[in-house]
Amino acid sequence: MRRLTHKTRRWFGQGLGCALALAGLHRTVRAHDGTHEVEVRIAHFAFDPTWIEILVGDSVTWINNDLAPHTATAKDAAWDTGSIDRGDTRRITFEAPGEHPYFCAFHPHMKGSILVRSRSEG
Amino acid sequence: MKTLALAVVLAATAAASGARADEPMNDLEIAHAAYTAGGLDIRYAHLALAVSENDAVRDFAQTMIRDHSAVNEAAGALVTELNVTPQDNALSQALVEGAAAKRAELMMLDGAAFDCAYANNELGYHQLVNKTVAESFIPAVTVAPLKALLEDALVTFRAHEQHAVQMVAGLRCAD
Repeated sequence: MRRLTHKTRRWFGQGLGCALALAGLHRTVRAHDGTHEVEVRIAHFAFDPTWIEILVGDSVTWINNDLAPHTATAKDAAWDTGSIDRGDTRRITFEAPGEHPYFCAFHPHMKGSILVRSRSEG
Repeated sequence: MKTLALAVVLAATAAASGARADEPMNDLEIAHAAYTAGGLDIRYAHLALAVSENDAVRDFAQTMIRDHSAVNEAAGALVTELNVTPQDNALSQALVEGAAAKRAELMMLDGAAFDCAYANNELGYHQLVNKTVAESFIPAVTVAPLKALLEDALVTFRAHEQHAVQMVAGLRCAD
């Protein structure tokens, strides 16, 4: 069997990386298999990003950059960050898979959504 | 009609409202007027909470108290940091006088009549204040932190204007 040279392995790695990137355009890039913390910035009365995808056990941290206080409140009332003042942060850890649409309870036109996948499908 | 009168006063005084009528407003006068405008909207909101039983109106009023308090708190912190004192001026006085007349008018109403009058006033007030902040205050201010604060505040006030548009539409005041 022909042995892979360092150069061949590098080409293979680059090709595999490109293929994975093309196949998984909508998937979250994960640096390791443990839990992750994703940041959502609140600025100009909007959540950024508005839509995120995480795995069970991951956390989302909201950071408010607006002058006005905001919340991140689940549409089904399952969770709520409470009021987040300017410069403050709030973190929620998601332990069950499912889709979590949410909004700002103070400014209901501000909307976002979190898709929590189980670790087996992630 | 009172909103139109306030618009005329704002237009006349926003550009030139210093110690003399032909002087442009300075930073301290602009800070005073912006702070005053926020405080007056908080007073309108407290009146709405005392009179209205409509959930949309009450939610809006709570938001006005919460947001304008946050903006004015930031303004107070900046004033302390810069060690300056905002200056009363003709525009601030016109705003106070106009708001007193509007509150007297609102206090004569109740039910849907109050809700519609409050909602329409909030829409008109935010439209006027936002135009003044965007076109007169921000271009005229010379101190960078005050300009930044006004720009941040304008983001909040514009969200309020959109919220007011939805509140007015939801109340079906024109029906």
